[in-house]
Amino acid sequence: MGGLLLDILTTAAILFAVASGLMIILGVMKLINFAHGAFLTIGGYAAFVTTQLGWNPWLAVPFAALVGFVLGLIVERTIVRPLYTRPLDAILATWGLGIIIGQVITIVFGREVQFVQSPISGAIEFLGQSYSTYRLVLVALAALLAVALTALLYFTRFGLNARAVIMNEDLARGLGIDSTRVRLTTFGLGAALASMAGALVTPLISVDPNLGLPWLVNSFMLVLVSGISIPGLMVASLILGGAQVVVSTYVSAILGGLTIVVLAAVILRLRPQGLFSG
Amino acid sequence: MVEQAQNGPAKGQPSAARQRSDLGTVLKVSAAALVVLGVAPFFLDIYTVNILIRALLLAALALTVDLLWGYTGILTFGQSAFFGIGAYACALVFTHWGFGAGWAILALALGVLAAMAVAGLAGWLAFYHGASPLYGSIVTLALPIVVTQVVFAGGRTTGSSSGLSGFPTYYWTIETWFWIAGAFLVVVTALAWLFVRSDMGRVLVAIRENETRCAYLGIPVSRIKILLFVAAGAIGAVAGFGYAAFTNVVAPELTGFLLGTELLIWVALGGRGTLIGPVIGAIFIDVTSSYLSGSLPFYWKLLVGILFVVVIVALPQGLMPEVTKLWRRLVPGAKRAAETPALERAPVREVRRGVEKPLAVSGVHRHFGSLQVLQGIDFVANEGELLSLVGPNGAGKTTLIRCLADGYERSGGDITVFGRELGRWPPDRCVALGIGRKFQTANVFATLTVAECLRVSRYRLEPPSLWTSDTALELPEAALRIVEETGLAQSLDTEARHLAHGQKQALELAMVLALEPRIVLLDEPTAGLTRIERERIGAILTSLTERERLSILLVEHDLDFVREISSRVIVLHQGQIVLDGSVEEVVGSALVREIYAGTAMDGKGNEP
Amino acid sequence: MSGAAATLAVSGLTSGYGEAIVVRGINFTVAPGEIVALLGKNGMGKSTLLKTVMGFLPAREGQITLHGRDVTREPPYRIARQAIAYTPQEQAIFQDLSVGDNLRLGQPEAKWFDEELERVGEVFPFLRERLSQRAGTLSGGEQKMMLIARALMARPKMMLVDEITEGLQPSIIERLAKALLAERARTGVAMLLVEQNVRFALEVADRWVVVKLGEIDDEGKSDAPSAAARIADHLSV
Repeated sequence: MGGLLLDILTTAAILFAVASGLMIILGVMKLINFAHGAFLTIGGYAAFVTTQLGWNPWLAVPFAALVGFVLGLIVERTIVRPLYTRPLDAILATWGLGIIIGQVITIVFGREVQFVQSPISGAIEFLGQSYSTYRLVLVALAALLAVALTALLYFTRFGLNARAVIMNEDLARGLGIDSTRVRLTTFGLGAALASMAGALVTPLISVDPNLGLPWLVNSFMLVLVSGISIPGLMVASLILGGAQVVVSTYVSAILGGLTIVVLAAVILRLRPQGLFSG
Repeated sequence: MVEQAQNGPAKGQPSAARQRSDLGTVLKVSAAALVVLGVAPFFLDIYTVNILIRALLLAALALTVDLLWGYTGILTFGQSAFFGIGAYACALVFTHWGFGAGWAILALALGVLAAMAVAGLAGWLAFYHGASPLYGSIVTLALPIVVTQVVFAGGRTTGSSSGLSGFPTYYWTIETWFWIAGAFLVVVTALAWLFVRSDMGRVLVAIRENETRCAYLGIPVSRIKILLFVAAGAIGAVAGFGYAAFTNVVAPELTGFLLGTELLIWVALGGRGTLIGPVIGAIFIDVTSSYLSGSLPFYWKLLVGILFVVVIVALPQGLMPEVTKLWRRLVPGAKRAAETPALERAPVREVRRGVEKPLAVSGVHRHFGSLQVLQGIDFVANEGELLSLVGPNGAGKTTLIRCLADGYERSGGDITVFGRELGRWPPDRCVALGIGRKFQTANVFATLTVAECLRVSRYRLEPPSLWTSDTALELPEAALRIVEETGLAQSLDTEARHLAHGQKQALELAMVLALEPRIVLLDEPTAGLTRIERERIGAILTSLTERERLSILLVEHDLDFVREISSRVIVLHQGQIVLDGSVEEVVGSALVREIYAGTAMDGKGNEP
Repeated sequence: MSGAAATLAVSGLTSGYGEAIVVRGINFTVAPGEIVALLGKNGMGKSTLLKTVMGFLPAREGQITLHGRDVTREPPYRIARQAIAYTPQEQAIFQDLSVGDNLRLGQPEAKWFDEELERVGEVFPFLRERLSQRAGTLSGGEQKMMLIARALMARPKMMLVDEITEGLQPSIIERLAKALLAERARTGVAMLLVEQNVRFALEVADRWVVVKLGEIDDEGKSDAPSAAARIADHLSV
């Protein structure tokens, strides 16, 4: 039982970290970034490069965030900006971007599976259970991330401007807020969060050019169910991630793989605005 | 009017002689395509023929994506699921049950039925009244993921991740398979071509252009989308069946999300909404990919990715329209002269008059959360009456119009239309009660011609053909008059987006009148019009009430306009009716003057 | 009034929504420190005019200058940053943000916030105690006062105010009129008020302009004895 609870908690923490970048972009920009998976992959390879260079494995996380941020800014300027008025086309264009990133990574690093050094290895006793230390550290990091995002959105001028743009973009612009710039920064931030999450999960899984793909659809579903709010995403990750763990444990691991998707589709049919919106 | 109805020409359904079809051209082009496909295997090496068979089948699948996305606007990631279902039906039956002609037919039937059932279920989930287009895409995204996981869960039965192979199948020559795949693609393309160029095909485009307007024209949008999704699923399953029978191998990738997105790429590059573009795109990219998979696998995929992004950003309509443009420039005579449909007067339908009130509203209220927008609305609208709804901004006028045209809108209260309860019906069923609604901003179908917009509006009264288009356009007297008086009759072939603003407004009004409504709801029909256009619309509205005995509800800001044309005025203020009377009573009312001048309104608890 | 010195000058301005033309070739100026009221019935183009000046709608024809500088093609945020405070008629406040955040959004420079808040708090004292209250829970009149307070936060040289009095009771309208006149006396701010409330408009404004079907129909000085009667004539049903 303790093991199951820990599995649910750590799974939810990973899902939250992975989905947060997608949520920030969708919330502020009303844009579904289908290159999200590719940014996770970029983070994974940033961690791989860190290992190759023999740096401290903890450096992988800020390094991934930096790479993701810079790439995010470039992508926003070149691809995303012309598509604000065509949201469905933006999905396709960012998906195409994901293909480009995947292929470039394949050309540079090869197709083979790579491994990344974990910053912490081993297991510790927790709730009478021997459990992977790194997974537990991820829970703490996800909590830290939630706090940091909340602080950014609620206690900084950028956060206030971003929230104003989310709520009423025209009104925000009329008050002197350059919403184009808010969007640029937001996309960079979302991409940085995705890359950072990619670097965080790679010690648990191997790195390959399609690393991010399986996470993309689940993140997308979680974000929609969350109703675009940080606490909403935490709860959605716990409920849907928890359901996934339970189904995987007691029914079948394969059916566990579609739990989030199916549950989310049903929830959104009943509550199109997500579980926790206004 | 009733007498006129009895004397009117007794015409039933449009006669077959009036139907125009591309059948001749399609047959000629299909025959030519079949000849090319017939001789192609003798000129190509066996490897190319081999990969072309797969490409031809996938092209048929891409065609269904184009029908759904390019024509109807449903962005689908899920067509691969149906391909996979067809393929697995073949592999499972041949592996586990038996092999032979009977088993093959059974497998095909099972695959198609399963695909249709899944499509029906997914469609029911995805395309409900009020669903966002994004939600539809979410369901289509979930579909291949679920099917793939089911395959994985099948263990030995489905071969799990390694799939099934080596099951018995027909070891026909490679040419035979090529001809089967080619003939299948030609038939599907020909049928799709006839379908999208038919009157029903125009309805699909109308749904893509403006789903809301469609619903308020009485078109059952959800049902059409579901049926189309089911048909597309069936075609996909047949293609998948063919693929499995030919290759003798099925794997979970066939049902997967990645193939689903690849289809979108082919369609987008080829040109959405062109049928031929996606077919060529699918064949070209799939064949080239197979060729280059040995030598330049990653660079080729990278190139496709870059091309895809560039096309989506810079050429959203894909490459086909560019090719067509070039062709027209090079071959000056290539632009086909469009056939202008002949305008005809629709037979007058007999209606009972004077028995029931057109509209009776009692106790209607509407709130958004704690905000009361309408409360205790009671009124009756009579035949031949032009009833204006006036009041300051935020008084609830547009909300009231919405409640009358969509049974889901009001929070409570009763509305009866000619004695029949409005109930909780969606807009398309409210239209059947005789309600026509014109929106505030001109809502027309941008890429359809004027004639097509009007024809789409006749959906309920003259069900459109799936394969042909009508050469005549029947319109009721009232719509005909607007079309003729505003000069639209001379622009029947013009796409609606090229019309001037005033003509768009007139077109939408004509579309609403083409429904032969008995109650017309108009939300600021004169907004942004010139004085002359206003006067013309005013004259038309007055005559509609006098000659056709229509009951018109008009929301209007321009009080001069209201005074000139109304027979009765209802004044709304803060969600309530404060006055219901003749024009003179309203003009003379001190209360109304106060509301408009804002001089003496008693605020409600606004004191800080 | 010379165009170069004008705080706002609009010449030959035509604009609208999509293809619908709502404002047709309008000319007028607002001098520094001047208050002008735009009157007219609903749907005649007054709000459209303000939105065009703010850059929310593109000017189809004509020119807009602020402080003598051409701003015709500039985006709203650039216009707002030229000390222009715009208070729209609908969806004018961030309902889900606190009163404090709403006011903070009125002043982009964080360093001036406390100073401005103190000053605005003197005009509308109730705001000081309600900084953490959700703005959507204020009463209608309080929301309108917060709206004006937010505009004052920006230290504007020009205020564009769209139907601030709508739905308010006379005592609050009187309070807003006093606040606006006091601000003009203190800072010399110019104002363009779109109004339906003639009494308020004539009390606050120096000049009035009646707009009809997107064109200027009549104009005059507020203190002329015939003003009220002439306007009433235009606005009668």
